[in-house]
This record gives sequence, C-alpha cells and structure tokens, in this order.
Amino acid sequence: MSDFDKVRRIERICFQDVVQRFRLIQERPDTLREAFAHLFRKQTSYHDFEALKGISFIIREGEAVAIVGRNGSGKSTILKIIAGVYRPTAGQVRISGQVGALIELGAGFHPDLTGRENIVLNGLLLGLSRREIHAREQKILDFAELGDFIDSPVKQYSSGMFMRLGFAVATEIDPDILLIDEILAVGDETFQRKCAERIEDFRRRGKTIVFVSHNLGAVRQICHRALMIDGGLLFADGPVDEVVSDYEQRMQGRFEQRPHASAVPSA
Amino acid sequence: MLQLIREIRKNRELIWALALKELHVRYKRSALGFLWALLNPLLMMIILTMVFSTVMRVPVHNYPIFLISTLLPWTFFSQSLAYSVESIVSNGDLLKKVYVAKSVFPIAAVISNLINFLLSMIPLVLLLVVFRFPFHRTWFYLLVPFVSLLLFTLGCGFFFAMVNVFFRDMSHILQIVLQAWFYFSPVIYSLDFVPARYRPLFRLNPLAYPLNGFRLAIYYGQLPTWQSMVMSLACGFGALIIGYKLFQRSQDNLVFYV
Repeated sequence: MSDFDKVRRIERICFQDVVQRFRLIQERPDTLREAFAHLFRKQTSYHDFEALKGISFIIREGEAVAIVGRNGSGKSTILKIIAGVYRPTAGQVRISGQVGALIELGAGFHPDLTGRENIVLNGLLLGLSRREIHAREQKILDFAELGDFIDSPVKQYSSGMFMRLGFAVATEIDPDILLIDEILAVGDETFQRKCAERIEDFRRRGKTIVFVSHNLGAVRQICHRALMIDGGLLFADGPVDEVVSDYEQRMQGRFEQRPHASAVPSA
Repeated sequence: MLQLIREIRKNRELIWALALKELHVRYKRSALGFLWALLNPLLMMIILTMVFSTVMRVPVHNYPIFLISTLLPWTFFSQSLAYSVESIVSNGDLLKKVYVAKSVFPIAAVISNLINFLLSMIPLVLLLVVFRFPFHRTWFYLLVPFVSLLLFTLGCGFFFAMVNVFFRDMSHILQIVLQAWFYFSPVIYSLDFVPARYRPLFRLNPLAYPLNGFRLAIYYGQLPTWQSMVMSLACGFGALIIGYKLFQRSQDNLVFYV
C-alpha cells in the first residue's frame, strides 16, 4: 500500500495507548459469606494484571492484519476490545464500521431452538434487524448446507453442522471489520476451503480483516501486515513476511535458551 | 431514563425475540404448552382458596376473586424477578464473546413474564363469568397499577440481575426475600385486615400500592385515593430510575465477573 493510499483510506480501527487491566483475584468473594470473611480479615487478595500495557496502532479500510504472539500475550484481548466486549482501562479506541467476529462460532445459539430460529436470534444478537436477517436467510442456508436439519433443534447437530451455521451467520452479516480468532483450525477440509474462500472474498471486496492465529502459514496467506505482541506490548508492526520471520526467530530463540534435560549436568 | 428508552428502541427486536425464546423454551417440551400459563394461576388460586377460605375461614365474599385480583400481579412480579436475577449470569458466555447491550436480558426476562401475565387475564375473566361477578367500570383504571407494577418490576429486575453477577448468593437470598414479601404484601389479605397501628408499617411496602389498585378496581369496583395513585406511580418510576442507574454504572464491569 502506498503512502498516498494510506492517507486516503478510512481509519477503521484506531488504538491509542490502550491499557487493559484485569483484576486477578485469587479468592474472589463469590458469595456473601466470603465477602464478609474478607471484610473482617481486611486483606485484599487480588492483584492487577495488565493484559495490554499501552498499545497503539491504526488499521485502515482494506487491510488484512495478523496479530501474532505467544499464548497469553494479549492477542485475544485486542480482538475483544475491537469487538466491544471489553472497555479498555485506559487509552482511546475508535472503531468505525460494523464489526463481525468469528471468535467463537455459534456463541449465541440456543440448543432447544431450531437452526432457522437460531439464525434469527443470532442475527439480532449481532446487531441486524429482522428484515436484514430475512434478506440474508437464503444465503446463510446455502452456505451452511444443513438440508432438513435446518428445522431441527441445534442440539441435534453434529459439531461440523454447528460450525457451518455459526460461520454462515457471522459472515453473512457482511461486517466492515471481520475479526477471526483461530477459526480455520476447525471443521473438515471442504469447510476449511469454503471458509478460506469466503475470507478471501472479504479481502477482495476491500473489507478490513484482523486475524489471530498460531498457524503462520495461514497468516502469510491471508494477511499483508502483521503486529507482534508480547507481554502486552507491541514489538513489531510491518509487512507480514518480516514480522512473521522475526517472530519465528524469537520463538526459536526462546526454545534454545531453555536447557535440554540431557544438557543439565547431573550431580 | 432517556438512555433506557433509547436502548429499548434500538434493541426492541432483540428483546422481543429473547422474550419469546424464553417462553418457547419454557413451554416447548410440556404436553400442555402455553396452557400452563393459564392453568398455573388457576391451580394456585384453588390451593390458596382452600386454605384461606375453607380452612381458615377468612370472612371475604367471593374469596377466589378477591385473591386472584392480586395474585396475578404478584406472580408476574415474583416470576419476573426470579428470571431477571439469573438473566445476566446465564448469558455470561455470550457476553464474553459478542457485544450486546446488557440491559436487554433483564428487560426480556420481564417482558416474557409480562406476556404470561396478560395471558393469565383470560382465566381471570373466565372466573368472573363463572362466579357471575360484575365487571366494574373501574377496569379502565387498571392501567395505573399496571404501569406502576411494570416499572417497579423492571427496576428491581435490573438491580437483582446486576448484583447477582457480583454476589451469586443473591439468587438464593431473593427466594427468601420474595417469600417474605409475599406475606408482607396485601395478596392473600387486604390492608384492612391489618391492625390499625401496624398499618403504617405495611404502607412502607412499595408493592402495596399497585396491588391494592388491582384489587380495588377488579374486586371492589372502587378507585383508590389520588394519593395512593401518585404513590404507586412514584414507587414505580423511583425503582426504575435507581435500578437502572445502578445497573448502568456497573455494566462495563459485568463481563469481567460473569
């Protein structure tokens, strides 16, 4: 992307010194009894944990950006802030456009409702109106390929059918910003290929994609830019190949630093 | 308050769908289905009538009607709270994954019971017909206690839904609170039964006003004093404003505790 493009394209996601603090509570007073006990002991048994320690970046329209990093580095926290699930403790977040999340497929599905009923309920939960859902219903049915199962309760679905329906609903809402968290790891090959095609389609149509994955092959394939996060800090932001190889080297380094069991001299 | 109205407008389709889902799931697997919404208050009324009219001989004419005129609104109130208190916690998984206005869950819990409440007016009307009980013109006045009760229930619903996220004991405490509240409220008796010197104490109960309004309009065919009407509405609006404010203040933190 040229500098000229960068100026012209809309900022979809803007993070400015974003801090997300969680209160990690060892013994959270879950019940009143515990709360009273804590009151009398007058001790606080929590400590604050900063999942993000001041992160800034801008993602523009049409970009496909990967976030790479070890487990617990803060990748998913970033996605949840973009999705609006968490409100950051400090810093500024600006999102423009509708966000769609492929974070946990079928999160709002109710097991006792049929596939068709769940399409409506899930669509409403994701912020569509009833009319918009009906307009998309046929496409969702086509993608999910459930056949007669569409009018059975989803608790009778196989996990693959469940996934297909969840994916179909989440992508058919046609968001401006698509968040993907390790999604391609599920489903059979046909499903994976369909997902990949659909994501590719999003990219071609100039939608914004934020992709979190440990599958560096998929990262290279889908994204052109990558952010590397470690310990809640942004370590690198640049073209996907550079950042990913940098990340690979770091991971390698970490493993090499760790002494092998055989290398430890025995007494 | 404006904020709440805006939220309801924006999410009205979602709230409606969630409320219907609630009913759907509640009745789906039962043979009688929606008929339970009609049968339940009738059966409850029969039991309470047997105890209080036949066994304890409460000196009230047409006790079943005296009773059901307040039993239905009470049931709406208590059921709504029982559903609201769990509404945020039970949708915790969802709230951790997608952004949804949190207020839709307690509202939907109340709305689903509101539908039940309106359905249960059918057995009430049938009962009046069977007992050849007159339909007083004061039925038109029912709107006031109805609105008061709805607002009061919503306010309490917000409060209990929010508190239960932080203190899971709340759902257990609520059961006891509701039971005490039932006997403390003019449902199986009316305030006239209470010794005069204790009556001021019973007037502290904000539910007493709308419940009394229901009974006066349906059973006695009278209008309450205007003071009572004002109190009734004031309690409703007050509860809603306080309950929603508290809910709103902590709604961003709910997701960390569900």
